[in-house]
Amino acid sequence: MSLIKVENLVKDYKINVKKKGLVGAIGSLLVPEYKMKRAVDNISFTIDKGETVGFIGPNGAGKSTTVKMLTGILTPTSGNVEIGGLCPYKQRKKNASRIGVVFGQRTQLWWDLPVIDTFELLKHIYKVPEKVYDENIELFSEMLGLKDFINQPVRQLSLGQKMRADIAASLLHNPQIIFFDEPTIGLDVVAKEKIREFIKYINKEKGITMLFTTHDMQDIEKTCSRMIIIDHGTTIYDGTVDQIKNRYGKTRTLIVEFGQVYDKIDLIPGVEVVDTKDNKKWLAFKKEEVHISSLIADLTNKYSILDLTIQEPEIESIIREIYEGGVNYDKSLSGGGKEVLSK
Amino acid sequence: MIRAYLEVAKKSFQNNITYRMDYFAGVINTIVMIFVNISIWKAIYEEEEVVGGVQFKIIMAYLVLSFLLQNIFTMEDYLIEGRVTTGLISSDLLKPMSFRLYVFSYNIGSLVFKAVMQLLPAMIVTVALFGMLPPFSASMFIYFLISVVLGYLVLYNLNFIIWISSFWFYFTFSLVTIKDAAVMILSGALIPLWFMPQWLYEFIKLTPFDSIFFVPISIYLGQIPAEEVFTSIIKQVAWVAVLGLVGHILWKAATKKLVVQGG
Ligand SMILES: Nc1ncnc2c1ncn2[C@@H]1O[C@H](COP(=O)(O)OP(=O)(O)OP(=O)(O)O)[C@@H](O)[C@H]1O
Ligand SMILES: [Mg+2]
Repeated sequence: MSLIKVENLVKDYKINVKKKGLVGAIGSLLVPEYKMKRAVDNISFTIDKGETVGFIGPNGAGKSTTVKMLTGILTPTSGNVEIGGLCPYKQRKKNASRIGVVFGQRTQLWWDLPVIDTFELLKHIYKVPEKVYDENIELFSEMLGLKDFINQPVRQLSLGQKMRADIAASLLHNPQIIFFDEPTIGLDVVAKEKIREFIKYINKEKGITMLFTTHDMQDIEKTCSRMIIIDHGTTIYDGTVDQIKNRYGKTRTLIVEFGQVYDKIDLIPGVEVVDTKDNKKWLAFKKEEVHISSLIADLTNKYSILDLTIQEPEIESIIREIYEGGVNYDKSLSGGGKEVLSK
Repeated sequence: MIRAYLEVAKKSFQNNITYRMDYFAGVINTIVMIFVNISIWKAIYEEEEVVGGVQFKIIMAYLVLSFLLQNIFTMEDYLIEGRVTTGLISSDLLKPMSFRLYVFSYNIGSLVFKAVMQLLPAMIVTVALFGMLPPFSASMFIYFLISVVLGYLVLYNLNFIIWISSFWFYFTFSLVTIKDAAVMILSGALIPLWFMPQWLYEFIKLTPFDSIFFVPISIYLGQIPAEEVFTSIIKQVAWVAVLGLVGHILWKAATKKLVVQGG
């Protein structure tokens, strides 16, 4: 049974068209002119209980808009959304008690009060049983290191501390589903890692279903098993994280540090030099066309070699390729990706 | 669920404590305003015992009551605007609680804070300085208390309409300023309405403004005939209902706009 069901979801925003100049400005004040902007264009997917889904796409792709419709604070122009049998925008309050949301751009903590006070308040708002609350506070403080600043007013916290507190706040009531919209934005490497570890743990221990929006591919790789990529409001990929690596990430790079500087080298077919720096060369090849062992054997026979490193393509560069290729990158992977999905 | 709103009020109370300067400023402001206004009226009364049929000691009591009430009736004019302009209003709607009751509880928290921490000291100081007329009678005192509560609700519902307009205008500073001026003049906060020209007085009686300060204070001072007290209170109730209804309709429209057009 799928927990989240999205069917042909569409969202059009009405945008106020401002005319240029003073006359134009007065004109649009008196007679406003609008145009419609389609932010989400016929998206469909389902998410099962316990699934962890990375939801990515370039800026303005429609991710936040989709998340808002899933949480119920935005009404779709057309299409259906169902969260555990509820229609989020019609039953917002009821839906709200089952979900947790973090919008990384803005904190939902009480600005002037210590973090712990916001937690206390949320306990009452969500009617969290005392025992559950105590356990969660204990666990979250431990894993997210909240202890150092839990008694400090929120306005004094650093971005990373605020974010950690926000994530804890969104999980206090043991939601079934958690929506993260860029919870790692602006954080340093260590803080990001801490949050990923935590998310991974929570997901495993509590079986929380998760939709995770981010621009950091490491987030997705470390915490999600599935990935939905959207662009211009449409789905361009829906499948597992491993699959995308297999399908797109066929290229390997061998970095060779030679004993001396060679201007030109003789390579076996299927391998090309993509970069050169001093005595180092970057050699790219497709992994099923060229055997890495024969390439290395060939090279060591002909040249003196100091060091060799094999580089797998990072998900980062794969995604970049997909974004740059746009919607039509690979049609077989688009459109809800039902066949890719079935496990 | 009540528990959650009590908790909000408590937090707002605590929030008020955080701003210690604000706290002292509130007490001092009230005392100074009472002092200044009584001095002005004293100058007017210099010659005569009675002006416009009203004795000076009644004016003095009126002013003390008015400024003490104004102090505790101060509300958070930019709470909703802040939530709207920062987009946090979306997070507010995502809580399984009523945002309107949340805002109300928040204001009640400040009200209690002001009543306990500011009203008491300001009252003690001013009564010691200027003395105070006792309520006209015990029953009028009871009506006064009821009328004060209703006066607060009239002002609250009026304010709510202004606050909620931030969904359309985003910045409500000018609106709030106009509202404050209107309340200041028309509610009898500064000048008892007895001294207004007859036509203006008749006009004000058709608005919700006299329900805020003038009616409760007049009841306390016995300036409203006993047989008219009941109608005055009913009029207050009616304004609470009418303004509440307008606020409700605007709130529905505001959330509709939010969920259709996005934050
Ligand atoms: N309230 C709004 N009114 C009008 N247009 C909007 C509104 N919110 C978003 N949009 C537009 O809709 C499109 C999708 O925006 P959205 O915020 O969903 O993108 P996103 O994928 O979350 O991008 P990012 O990665 O930058 O956060 C954008 O073109 C944006 O300008
Ligand atoms: Mg976004």
